[in-house]
Amino acid sequence: MIHVLYLDDESHNLTAFRAAFRRVFKVHVTTEPTEAVQLLREHPIEVVISDQKMPSLSGVEFFELIMSDFPDPIRMLLTGHADIDAVIDAINKGQIYKYISKPWNEAELQALVEEAAGQFRRKRTVQQEGDRMIQQMRQAKELAAWIVEVTASGGAVTPEIHEKAKKIDELLS
Amino acid sequence: MNAVRLLGFRCIGLVALAVIGFAFPAGAQKYIGERMELLPDSLVPRMSVTEQIVDLLGWQPLDVAVPNLGNSSEVYWLRLKLDAATEAGSLLEIQNATIDELSCFIVCDGEVITAYGDGESHRSGQDSQLGTYPSFAVPLATECTDLEVLIRVQSGKPLLLPVRIAGHKEVIRDAHQRDVFFAAYFGIIFVMLLYNLFLYFSVGDRNYLWYAMYIVTVGGAQLVLNGYAGLLSVDEWPWLERRLVHFMGVFSGVATIVFARDFLDLPKRVPWLNTVMYVYLGIYGLAFLLALFGWMTWSYNLINFCALAIFLLIPGAIVSMRQGFRPARYFLIAWMFFIVAVLVFVLKDSSVIPFNQWTFFALPVGNAIEVVLLSLALASRINEMKQEATKAKEQQLRLAQQNERMVSNQNRLLEDRVRERTLELQQANGELENTLSELKTAQQQLLQQEKLASIGQLTAGIAHELNNPINFVSSSSASLKRDFEDVEEVLKRVMALQPDSEGLHEEVRALRERMEELDLEFTQEEIVQLLKGIEDGAGRTAEIVKGLRIFGRVDGDAFAPAQLNELLESTLVILRSSLRDQVAIDLELEADLPLVRCQAGRLNQVFMNMITNAAHATMERKDLAPEDRLIYIQSKKVEEGGKKWVIIRIEDNGIGMAEDVRMQIFDPFFTTKAVGEGTGLGLSIVMGILSDHHAEVDVQSAPQRGTAFTLTFTA
Repeated sequence: MIHVLYLDDESHNLTAFRAAFRRVFKVHVTTEPTEAVQLLREHPIEVVISDQKMPSLSGVEFFELIMSDFPDPIRMLLTGHADIDAVIDAINKGQIYKYISKPWNEAELQALVEEAAGQFRRKRTVQQEGDRMIQQMRQAKELAAWIVEVTASGGAVTPEIHEKAKKIDELLS
Repeated sequence: MNAVRLLGFRCIGLVALAVIGFAFPAGAQKYIGERMELLPDSLVPRMSVTEQIVDLLGWQPLDVAVPNLGNSSEVYWLRLKLDAATEAGSLLEIQNATIDELSCFIVCDGEVITAYGDGESHRSGQDSQLGTYPSFAVPLATECTDLEVLIRVQSGKPLLLPVRIAGHKEVIRDAHQRDVFFAAYFGIIFVMLLYNLFLYFSVGDRNYLWYAMYIVTVGGAQLVLNGYAGLLSVDEWPWLERRLVHFMGVFSGVATIVFARDFLDLPKRVPWLNTVMYVYLGIYGLAFLLALFGWMTWSYNLINFCALAIFLLIPGAIVSMRQGFRPARYFLIAWMFFIVAVLVFVLKDSSVIPFNQWTFFALPVGNAIEVVLLSLALASRINEMKQEATKAKEQQLRLAQQNERMVSNQNRLLEDRVRERTLELQQANGELENTLSELKTAQQQLLQQEKLASIGQLTAGIAHELNNPINFVSSSSASLKRDFEDVEEVLKRVMALQPDSEGLHEEVRALRERMEELDLEFTQEEIVQLLKGIEDGAGRTAEIVKGLRIFGRVDGDAFAPAQLNELLESTLVILRSSLRDQVAIDLELEADLPLVRCQAGRLNQVFMNMITNAAHATMERKDLAPEDRLIYIQSKKVEEGGKKWVIIRIEDNGIGMAEDVRMQIFDPFFTTKAVGEGTGLGLSIVMGILSDHHAEVDVQSAPQRGTAFTLTFTA
């Protein structure tokens, strides 16, 4: 299940959100930004939704706050009325994936969250694949270095060398 | 033309008069100057007796009919031998009325038989005077062989001695004739005098007065010269009598000069002559003084010299005539008559022409004609003057008409100008009106903008306020439906359970598993929460809508009683979302506030504007934390003497204003905000609304301390 974090100063909104999406997502809600950070630490959050207009800090400010520690989760801004300045601000800083206006359409919001999660997962997959390839390259390099070292002394091609060359082939394929 | 014809008629009448005048003394008179002998008194020894004088040596015969002894003031003796046979009993008449001293002695054979006068004054001779001339009766001394007459004369005037011997009847007849003649003459003079005086008083022309004076003095001179002064009883004053001829001469001369000078308008037309006339006047004055002090001969000579002035007036009249002054011509004619008469008189006196009745009467006749003619001249002058006046009037009229034309032209021009100007003004006015209407439109637009801005603010606030409850109400209801579906499913299965069913236990266990699966316990809790949220959302929506309804009376222009607390609250509902978390609002509203008749919608605009301003002012205080930025809103009632007031106080601890700013905040278009951020109309509109409500406004402010608006409404 997709882990979604929703931050809003209006508790009724949180209730409504959880009630709407608890069956499809793993929903985490809070009214407090500090608690939200805690939740980010404790759970593999993939999508973060924040209300823009909050007393202590705005949504955009919250995103800025978590940017360094949690860069990966996809961020979405939720706002009551067309606060165009905030939207421009958020988009310019590249912090948000989507902008949602209240009142939300449940189906639309679900689709957006899923889409965002897909994005997050694709990103994570690509990253993992990359990591894996880098790992393989590193191994292949090590093997190649060993072969070069062994063959440099003018020894015959041993089955061990042969086996290792074969493994390099596998790694690079 | 008329004047000329009139002049003609008058001349004819005058000539007729003159002829009648001459006809009377037509008989020739015989003067006996040739028979007389003369002896100056200086040759007579002192203390001589009259009888001795007759026989003195030195008698000189006079060889003229009318001797002229000149003007010397000397005493003369005259001797005349009479024929006792024929001339005794007749009268000796000396036709000279101006002899100062005259005595007459009749000597018969060296013995004075009759003496007239004591040699001091000719008055003494009056005893036997039959007319205006002295006459002496020669006694009927027919027995005398030598009958002589001795006459002693002395005069300060020319001593002309027309002497004759005539019978009583003859003398009386001649005296009567002369009287008649002079009566006619004086009649003319008198009529002329009256006529001219009348004219003077009716016309008021000074010339008539001068002329009247001229007539009086000239006539007076004739009166005196011809011995009629006695009529005025001047012989009562011998001193005056001796000088009367001199005085009359001076007066008539002065009057002549004054009259002629004025008539001919010498000062203007012949200035040099005018100056000469002044000299003559001076000389006349001198002559008058000489006569006064007894220098009779010198005085008379001076007067005679001055008589030359009448000749000088001729060139004066000619010059004046040449200058186109027509009356000068009549003057000239009249003057010619006079001069001719004077010439005759003078020539007669100097024996150039014979002394007779014709030459004697020439002067009064000429004078009478002259007087009449001058009167005509004067009439002509008046006519001329009248004509000139008429001409002047016509000229004036022409000028006036010209002026009027010019004025009317000018008026037309002015009217044109005025019309032009009016047109220009109308155009300018039209332009101004256009500008004004444009300005009004602009103002309207600005007001509309201000209104729109507040409506925009309002809708944005409301949108935000409404969005949250709408969001969770709609979302919650959908979730509630799903939750209820779960509950319903379980409920249906529970309801389907049969107590006596065999697999009851099994079914209950499966149901429990399903309930676990659906997490119904949580769902139950959630439903409560969702319901609470919906209830809460509905309540909040209702509150907002209510506030909106109160606030929304934006165009409610009707005055109606309203609770100002309600208005403040509804305004705050609208503003809450934009103020929340920015500014702390401290609301202190008095509970039982009296109602205030007001335009609720417009007052909301006032409150919103003021609270928004307060919020902006406090938000500028970056040194304060949001919770320390305060807006204090207070309402309270004040009662005094049966009157009630509601006081609304909106106070902030914002940046405040300097005095000069505070003075201008209600001025239209005054703003401290950057261009494009504020219209500068907010508070001016507020002021307009408040003055419509007759509310008192008090503003107190201090920079960096805050501002307080106090509004006082009459309840």
